[in-house]
Amino acid sequence: MMKRALVALCMTVCVAAHAAAPVAKIQQMLAKPKVLCGRFDQSKQLTGLKKPLASNGRFCVVTGKGVLWRTLQPFPSTLRLTRDEIVNYQGDHVAMRLDAQQEPTVRMINSVLFAMLAGDLAQLDSLFDVDGDADGNHWHVALKAKEPALAKAIGAITLEGDSYVKNITIIDASGDRTNIVFSAMQSGDSAMQPEEAALF
Amino acid sequence: MIFMKRKGFALAWALVVCLLLAHNAYLWLGQHIAPDTDILNLLPVQERDPLLQRSFTHMVDAAQQRVVVLVGAADWNDAKRAADAYSAVLAKRPDLLQAMPATENAEADWLAQFQPHSLILLTADQENKLQTQPAQFWTDAAQAKMLSPFGGPKLGAWRDDPFDLFGGWVRERSQETPVRPRDGHLFVASADKQYVLLPLTLQVPAFSISAQQAVVPLLTLADAAARQAVPQVDIVKAGVVLHAAAAGSQANSEVSTIGIGSLIGIILLMWATFRSFKPIALILLSIGIGFLGSFSICWLLFGRIHLLTLVFGASLIGVAQDYGIYFLCNRLSADSKLDSVALLKRLMPGLLLTLLTTVIGYMGLALTPFPGLRQMALFSAFGLVFAWLTVACWFPILIGSSGLSSGALVRVYAAPPFPWPVLRANKASFAAVAVFIVLAAIGCTRLGANDDIRLLQNPPAQLVRDQIKLGKLLDTSNPVQFFLVRGNSVETVLQREEQLKKRLDPLIAQHKISGYQALSNWVPSMQTQTARRSLIESKLLNDGGPLTQLAGRIGEESDWVAATRAHLLESAKPLALDAFLDSKASEPWRQLWLGEADGTFASIVALRGAGNATLPLLQQAGSGIEGVQWVDKVGEISSVLGRYRQYMGWVVLCSYLVVFGLLYPRYRRNAWRVLAPAAVASVATLAMLGIAGQDLQLFHVLALMLLLSVGVDYGIFMLEHPKRGDYTPWLAVGLSAANTILSFGLLGLSKTPALQAFGLTMLIGTALVWVLVPCFATEN
Repeated sequence: MMKRALVALCMTVCVAAHAAAPVAKIQQMLAKPKVLCGRFDQSKQLTGLKKPLASNGRFCVVTGKGVLWRTLQPFPSTLRLTRDEIVNYQGDHVAMRLDAQQEPTVRMINSVLFAMLAGDLAQLDSLFDVDGDADGNHWHVALKAKEPALAKAIGAITLEGDSYVKNITIIDASGDRTNIVFSAMQSGDSAMQPEEAALF
Repeated sequence: MIFMKRKGFALAWALVVCLLLAHNAYLWLGQHIAPDTDILNLLPVQERDPLLQRSFTHMVDAAQQRVVVLVGAADWNDAKRAADAYSAVLAKRPDLLQAMPATENAEADWLAQFQPHSLILLTADQENKLQTQPAQFWTDAAQAKMLSPFGGPKLGAWRDDPFDLFGGWVRERSQETPVRPRDGHLFVASADKQYVLLPLTLQVPAFSISAQQAVVPLLTLADAAARQAVPQVDIVKAGVVLHAAAAGSQANSEVSTIGIGSLIGIILLMWATFRSFKPIALILLSIGIGFLGSFSICWLLFGRIHLLTLVFGASLIGVAQDYGIYFLCNRLSADSKLDSVALLKRLMPGLLLTLLTTVIGYMGLALTPFPGLRQMALFSAFGLVFAWLTVACWFPILIGSSGLSSGALVRVYAAPPFPWPVLRANKASFAAVAVFIVLAAIGCTRLGANDDIRLLQNPPAQLVRDQIKLGKLLDTSNPVQFFLVRGNSVETVLQREEQLKKRLDPLIAQHKISGYQALSNWVPSMQTQTARRSLIESKLLNDGGPLTQLAGRIGEESDWVAATRAHLLESAKPLALDAFLDSKASEPWRQLWLGEADGTFASIVALRGAGNATLPLLQQAGSGIEGVQWVDKVGEISSVLGRYRQYMGWVVLCSYLVVFGLLYPRYRRNAWRVLAPAAVASVATLAMLGIAGQDLQLFHVLALMLLLSVGVDYGIFMLEHPKRGDYTPWLAVGLSAANTILSFGLLGLSKTPALQAFGLTMLIGTALVWVLVPCFATEN
């Protein structure tokens, strides 16, 4: 379920998936700001559909608070992850809410997510097999979940970036492909727009 | 001649005893019989419902062999380390406990199994939204899911569940338990700790003492190992075997302190009276034979014996000893020229009367419709008869005229230091009686009644705390209070379950219960399945409906719409209950299905989070739906005990009348003197209980029954020897009362409320009878 969310989102911040050597190197390359916001362009190729679906929007990651993912085009919807909750808004009403009390995996997902925000690589390493390389100021890693259940839920993930994650590709077990490209990254308190701050 | 005849009786009796020994040896050692422990077998035959009883055993048997352990710490890795240390210790003894393996692919597997039926699996909330929300709502939902990089549960491509209906259903099912697989373990979270769940299955019977003695130390070792790995680990355990072991060890320690204490007391008393151990050996012999006889006969008559009968039958020790003691005390005081056989002849009227009055009293229980009470009646009656026959046939032979010598205690009775107050028709007596009546009235009106079955046991506080904590953490369902749903076909049962669930939903909304477990959650009735399919077809897949609109938004053609619709309808295959029960996914829910018996199908709807206050609401929710029955095992057992109490109470009252009738021919105007001490003592004890704020229980009434027998025996002893100077009756009464107090009164020290009630009543009652009996002696 939210395992996909976990992986996709944690990748947006800074991933330390490593085969021994590049991890430390990648860690050094990545900036780990307290507040990080930017724009995303997403392209999805679903089985059965002739054309890929394009969407774009803004995202924000705040250490200690959570993650905000706002799709703006072509259809607005908002996803917010905090320590104890995952909420999906459509317009004003809540389309889906997962509470940690009812769904224990929420905390687990979010704790791994935040562990990554804190730069704790040991957490990711326990869940994923990582292949990667890094040269110059550019790196590239591929993640495969260690547990078969998780692998079935998430599929194969590749990431690349430099001081921030720039590109994510997710290929589902069912064949749906997702590609997300990040741009216009900003860090610091000024990075968040007022409407985003309100949603947090 | 007389002696020869007496010897003849003795030999005949010896033969009978040998037969009894043989029969009992055959039963206990050869056949390994065990007493019946099911309380529902105490109900009258016509009230028994075999399907109902099966539903109880179904729910409880499954749980009986399980031990559940939660090992937790604030950090997940710590919890895992501690849990691994714990399991490592248990793995050394696979013959005692086995861990249930947490399968990796369990979660993925069960989702895959429901895939072909996903279209007809909806939550109540979704059905509601389908009927009330406009088409645009659903078009928006589908598009949002399409575009979201993180969809619902990964069950396939988007086109398998475009409207997130199946996703919602899976989420709702997941909420039926808070347990999740994580890193190859089962995981449960509380507010501040994360626990590894270790479900264990006992490989040995939970109620076997040797099993308990092996399993409990093993668990303690495992505890220590986990604590060594992680010092702040929190371990929560629950299981029937733990309760049984605690009850067993408590009983053991009580038997030791109370049993040994009373045994020593009795031996000392006997020594002080007779200066030899022979008397106590003889009395034990008569009681032992009484037990053997009653057991054999009851087994032959009923084919089984209930544990409660044995417990009640043990109380007849207090009465059976009277016969032996009466004979022995008379032997002591009688002239040595009078031989034992002649002595027995002289005592026969009194002895016979004591036996008759008690046996008739107990036979009153046999007239009730309760099989348990009938068993108790016959067991007690035969036990007393056999003990009496032992005294009559063997004691004269075994004790000659000079067989006994007086001990120190006898001299105390022979020359009492002060005269005892006696009831006469004078002012002092009337005043005493008046005061007594007033106090008694006050006390008895304050007496309440409490038949709760939980009074029969007293588990250690730690076990109870752990059980409650485990129940809250795991949100388990209640195995003793649930709904039983019956019907003449599987479809009928599922439909009735759905009707019931509609009534229970408001209770969940009001937070009175946290949820229910029912098979119709997983397999809707065919009626519902068909209704849902047509609902989806008309609301989502219709022309111009959400699917078509969505196609317009993303730029797809009508052939895509047709293909997607066809693809979705493939997942609308009907789901049958049998197929579900055969699959792996149904493992935790199989206990809810009772199958078919005599053309009736039945299932259980279990409840989660139902507190004691909600029970009446639940009973009301189930009423009115045909085939749905609210079942409350605790309440039913308590009501059985309550009815037994009431019946026994009436029997006690009637016994007084019957005994009076038996005594009248011999004692005429003085017959009331025999009954008076017992009656006064009983009323006084009840009054004291009332003033102390205690509630009346079945065991109190049983003690009153015993008190009547004992009191009447003492009264008869006194009246048989009306001469003022004769100390024999005083000695007999004193010895018997002291023995009774030592054997039963000490039960008042037990921590089990039921036994304490019995012991306290016997203690106070017997002491009062002892004191009052001389007061009612005749003027002479």
